[in-house]
Amino acid sequence: MSELYRPGEPVKLQFTGSASEYFRIWIVNLCLSVLTLGIYSAWAKVRRKRYFYGSTLLDGAAFEYTGNPVAILKGRLLVLAVFTVYSLAQHVVPLLSLVLALVVLALLPWIIQRALQFNARNSLHRNVRFGFNGGKMQIFGVLLVAALLVPVTLGIGYPWYLAMKRRLFVENSRYGSQRFAFSATTGDYYRGAMKISLAFVGFLAGSIVTLGIGLLPFYLLLRAYAEVVLARLAWRNTTLAEIRFDCGWTVGGLFGLYFVNALGVMLSLGLLVPWAAIRTARYKLERMTLQSPQGPAKFLAAAADDVGAVGDEAGELLGFDFGL
Amino acid sequence: MSGLQAVYFDGESTDGQPVTLELDARQLLHVRGTGCGIDLAWPLVEVRVSERIGASRRRLYFPDGAQCETADNDAVDALFEGRVPAASWLLHRWESGLSYAVAALVITVAAAWVAVVWGVPALAKQAAFALPAATETYIGRDALATLDKLVLQPSKLPETRQRELRELYARMTSGIQGAATYRLELRQGGRAGANAFALPAGIIVMTDELVELAKDDRELEAVLAHEIGHLRQHHMLRLVMQNSAAAVLIAFMAGDLTSLTSLAAAAPTMLLQASFTRDFEREADDFSLDYLAKRGIAPEYFAAILRRLEEKKRPGRKDGASDYLSTHPSTRERIERARGKI
Ligand SMILES: [Zn+2]
Repeated sequence: MSELYRPGEPVKLQFTGSASEYFRIWIVNLCLSVLTLGIYSAWAKVRRKRYFYGSTLLDGAAFEYTGNPVAILKGRLLVLAVFTVYSLAQHVVPLLSLVLALVVLALLPWIIQRALQFNARNSLHRNVRFGFNGGKMQIFGVLLVAALLVPVTLGIGYPWYLAMKRRLFVENSRYGSQRFAFSATTGDYYRGAMKISLAFVGFLAGSIVTLGIGLLPFYLLLRAYAEVVLARLAWRNTTLAEIRFDCGWTVGGLFGLYFVNALGVMLSLGLLVPWAAIRTARYKLERMTLQSPQGPAKFLAAAADDVGAVGDEAGELLGFDFGL
Repeated sequence: MSGLQAVYFDGESTDGQPVTLELDARQLLHVRGTGCGIDLAWPLVEVRVSERIGASRRRLYFPDGAQCETADNDAVDALFEGRVPAASWLLHRWESGLSYAVAALVITVAAAWVAVVWGVPALAKQAAFALPAATETYIGRDALATLDKLVLQPSKLPETRQRELRELYARMTSGIQGAATYRLELRQGGRAGANAFALPAGIIVMTDELVELAKDDRELEAVLAHEIGHLRQHHMLRLVMQNSAAAVLIAFMAGDLTSLTSLAAAAPTMLLQASFTRDFEREADDFSLDYLAKRGIAPEYFAAILRRLEEKKRPGRKDGASDYLSTHPSTRERIERARGKI
C-alpha cells in the first residue's frame, strides 16, 4: 500500500463516482430536503460529501468526510435567522440592521476560522485527519486587505489579496501533524493576473466581434483559463513535506467540460446537475498528481479538538476552501 | 461469512495494513493481517459501520479509534445484517432503483409546487393580516418615496379637479368598512403612464394620465374600487413577502444544488410571480364589481376603462407605457368577467 511513496513516480488521484449512481443519491436528497422544508438538507450535504470523498482514491485508499449533520443544521439555521432578522430589520428598524451587519462583520474572522477548521478536521485520509491552524488575527488581516485595499486601489490590489488568501489557507493547513507549505510569491500572482487580464480583453473582443452570440462560450473560455492559471499557481507551489503536487487541467479540457455541462444542465432543466457534478469531479481530480522524490514517507496523526459547524455555510459563501 | 478483505488504519499514522475480517461463533470480529502481525478481535456490537452510499468506500470503526476501509459493500452488509439502522437501510434501498428515483423526482416537483404555489401564499396571507399596521405603514411610505424619486411627479391637474377626485374618493371610502385609513395620492405618471396602484399602508396612487383617459368619473370609481380591493387584502405586502419567502425557501431546500442555487432560485419565483398577481387581480376585480353593483353603477364602466387602457397600450408604445396592464390578467378576460356580472 505504498505506491504513493515510490520514488520519483507521480501518483494520480482516482475518482470512482458514477453519474447514474449519484443521480439517485441526489434526487433522494433533494426529495427529502423539500419534504422536510430544508431541514434534511444538512444530512443531504453530508451524504453528498461522503459520497464524493468516499469515491476519491489516492494510492488505493479513499478520502472520508465525517461532518456532523446536526452541527451543519445548527449553522444553517443560525445563518438563516441572522439573514431573516437582517432583511426584516432593513424595512422596519434600519438602525438594527446596521448594528447586525457590524456585529456579523466583527465576527467574520471567527466564523471563517471555524468554517476552515470544521472542513479540515472532518476530512480524513487513511484515518488521519486534516487540520487548520490559522489564527483569527491572520484572517482578519487578509479580510482587511480585501475590504480596504482592493477597492481603494481599484482592483490592482486583488492579486495581492489572492496570494495572501491562498498562503494563509495552505500554510495553516495540515495533514496529521505535517503542515503544508506554500512557495508562490505575490509577484507570481501578479504575473498570473496579467495573463488573465489579457484573456479578459480577448473575451471582450470576441464577444463584440461575434455580436454577443459568443458571450457564453467566450465567458466559459475565460473562466476556464483563469481557473487553470490560478490552480496551477496554487498547486505547483504547494508541498506537504517532500510531496509535490501538480495540476494537469488544461484550458481546452476545462472549457469543453464546462460547455457540455452548461448545455446539458440547461437542456435537461437541471436534471443533469448530478451528471455535471460527477464529470467535473472526475476531470479535476483525475488530473491531480502527487510526487514524492525522496521515497517512502509516513505521516503521523495529530491530537485536535472538536469544532462545531457554525461557520461552515458562511465559509463556503466566502470561497474559503481548498477549491479543487 | 468467509473473510472480508479490507485495509486497516490504526489512526496513529498513515500506514495501512491489508487485513481479513472474520466473524466467529461468539460474535467476535477477528481482524487478521495478511502480511503483518495484526491479530485483533472486537465484539461485533462494539464495531460501528458507516452508511452505505452508492459504491463509495465503506468503513468499520473500532472502539480504539482504528478503522478498516473496504470496497466490498455487500460483504459489510452481510456482516452487519440486522444491525444497520432501519433509516440508513431504507435510504440505500431508495437510492438503489431507477423507479424509486423517478418517484423521488415526481414527489420533489409536486411538493415544491405545493409549497410555492399554495404554502407560501397561505403563510404570507396569515402574516400580512397579523403584522402590526406600523410595519406595513413603514414599507408603504418607503415605496411611495422611492416611486416619487424615480418615476412620479406631483400632479399637474387643476386644483378644482383634484378636489373633485378627493371628494369622490372620500364618498367611496365612507361606505367601505375599514377603508377610512386609506389615502389617495394624485401624481403625474411620467414613464408609468396611465396607471393606478395600491401600495402597502393603504396608499392608492392614481396618475393624471389615467384621470384624463377616463370619459366618466364612474370609470375612475371602478378603478379606485379595484385598488381598494387590493388594499383590503394586503396584496402588495403579501406579494413582497411571497417573493422573498419563496426565494429563501427554494434556496434553503435546494442546499444540495450548491453552485446552481443562485441562478435557479430566482427562476421559479419569477415564473410563479405572474400567477400570484393573477389571483390577486381577480380578487381585486371581484371587489370592484361588487362595489359597482352596490352603488348601482353598470360594470360596463369598468370594462370601458379597461378597454381604453388596452388600446392605449397597443399602438407602438413599448414598455413602460402601462405596467398596470402587464401585471394584470388579459384585459379581454377581465372585460368578459365584468360583463358576466351584468
Ligand atoms: Zn390591480
